Amino acid sequence: MQQHATITELTFAGGAGSLSTSKPRGRPIHSMPVWFSAAYFTGALVTDLVYWQMPDVLWERFSIWLIMAGLVMTGLAAVAYLIDLAGGRQIDRPALPRVVGYALAGLLSLLNAFVHSRDGYTAVVPAGLTLSALVIIVLLLTACVGMVLSNRSRVGG
Amino acid sequence: MMRALKAGRSANLLRLAAVVVVVAAAGMGLAGCDDHGGDPKAQIGANPVLPALQQYLMPPMRIARAVGWGEGETPTVPQGLQVHALASGFTHPRSLYVLPNGDVLVVESNGPKAPIYRPKDIITGWVQSFAGAKAKDANRITLLRDSNGDGVAKLRTTFLDHLNSPFGVALIGHDLYVANTDAIVRYPYQDGETSITAAGTKLTDLPGGPIDHHWTKSLLASPDGSKLYVGVGSNSNIGENGIGAEFERAAIWEVDVASGAHRIFASGIRNPTGLQWEPETGKLWAIANERDEIGPDLVPDYLTSVKDGGFYGWPYSYYGQHLDPRIMPQRPDLVAKATVPDYALSSHVAPLGVAMYTGTDLPANYHGGAFVGEHGSWDRTPLNGYKVVFVPFSGGRPNGPAQDVVTGFLDANNHARGRPVGLAVDRTGGLLIADDVGNTVWRVSSVKPGSPPKPAS
Repeated sequence: MQQHATITELTFAGGAGSLSTSKPRGRPIHSMPVWFSAAYFTGALVTDLVYWQMPDVLWERFSIWLIMAGLVMTGLAAVAYLIDLAGGRQIDRPALPRVVGYALAGLLSLLNAFVHSRDGYTAVVPAGLTLSALVIIVLLLTACVGMVLSNRSRVGG
Repeated sequence: MMRALKAGRSANLLRLAAVVVVVAAAGMGLAGCDDHGGDPKAQIGANPVLPALQQYLMPPMRIARAVGWGEGETPTVPQGLQVHALASGFTHPRSLYVLPNGDVLVVESNGPKAPIYRPKDIITGWVQSFAGAKAKDANRITLLRDSNGDGVAKLRTTFLDHLNSPFGVALIGHDLYVANTDAIVRYPYQDGETSITAAGTKLTDLPGGPIDHHWTKSLLASPDGSKLYVGVGSNSNIGENGIGAEFERAAIWEVDVASGAHRIFASGIRNPTGLQWEPETGKLWAIANERDEIGPDLVPDYLTSVKDGGFYGWPYSYYGQHLDPRIMPQRPDLVAKATVPDYALSSHVAPLGVAMYTGTDLPANYHGGAFVGEHGSWDRTPLNGYKVVFVPFSGGRPNGPAQDVVTGFLDANNHARGRPVGLAVDRTGGLLIADDVGNTVWRVSSVKPGSPPKPAS
């Protein structure tokens, strides 16, 4: 995790967060695993779509492992978030909508892992595919809401 | 002002999130966890009641923890019968075969290691280890000889060793055929031999690894000794390893003994074992383990006559034209010709052994019918199976409900003292039962006038 933190710091120093007036004690370490999980869940949606069009078990297996990897990353992100809070690290604002959005995506993905553990076609079509799509929609909305609200709060003071 | 607005919006967001998760969970049947199966009696016989299929978020798993038999404990049999151990101390005895001189072959085998393709495979393997399903694969056949016929084995030798997950055995003349999980191998056998050291000759390959989901290959010789019938189970529950993995599986093969060539005698039978000739009509009968994860009462396992060229539904449908949505692409052409099996044994009982009773020792009501060894369920509440039942036959067809014959494999806490698997009828007409959790071969016989009474069990 410490390594992640360092990379994050180097790569993203000078981002929107640095505008904050409070004295940050470093970039949050939870954003890296969040991005990884979003990438894994996106991958699962892609492999689900391929399976839907071409039901070869290989794609179904890709999906479940991608969802599992995404869930592991979500778990790491949650732990990292708690460490950030405890360590008084700077958290991207607005915090609550982001937390709710990511938590929702994580819970839906957990459901999705169970659906994807079914045997055969109905592990993906229609429930699994729907959940994979829903997770991505939630993640996109979370990102949009986050962006809009952070701009508004910056403009509105 | 801004802060209050934000707080309100956040609360709404939280509420929305909660609603989405609850709706999603409910919609997918998480509530199905405590879902109980109905009375198995409704699913025994020619016309089983088939409920609507359901799919789970978390498929129910309900195993009976293996505890083994205590000192002096035995299974329970009805009045007039007695049961005792022919021999014990085996390593997962799975099937039995009686040689013409009365020697009993005990096949000790537990299947190859299952590969891990999905996270689920890790969890399933872990849960099943509590049911005693992960014992070492002994890969051998042990010979038992009861020289004075009192029902206790006097001689015990290792008959054949270093096999590859063997299950079926068949003797034709002086050729002993053993069905390993991946091949049928022929060994020379002389009458009275207690151990075979000669190297075997491969007759034909059988579908084996790397997945080998249903690994048991049951074997039955034709009466004239020219053909072998082989039960080859599917490579998955319901095709989740791809239809390519099912090539020539979920089928009964007919193998020509002279050439090793084979053809598919019947197909669409998920896991056919217990191949037997029905004594009155001479027709081939088999038992089958049906599919899982669509409900506690789906799909009933069955006992059926096997028609040449017959298709019995798997994976596309069950009990005739009941479609299984888990397989894609579907095959309406095959579903249309799917045969309904003859006799349902109720769901998830896991029949793994059949003995058509042709002996004379047991009471007359057992003559001509079929004993079926039900290994017992692992994914149904309440537990089902864990006993040996008797299906009466008349005119070559099942006639009447199945009767419990050998019970008591589960203790009062629903722990498994044993699990019955393969059955055989010995030379003197006793019913032999391989118990792969109790690691014992049980022998059921009639209580004779003047013989010592049945020990309390």
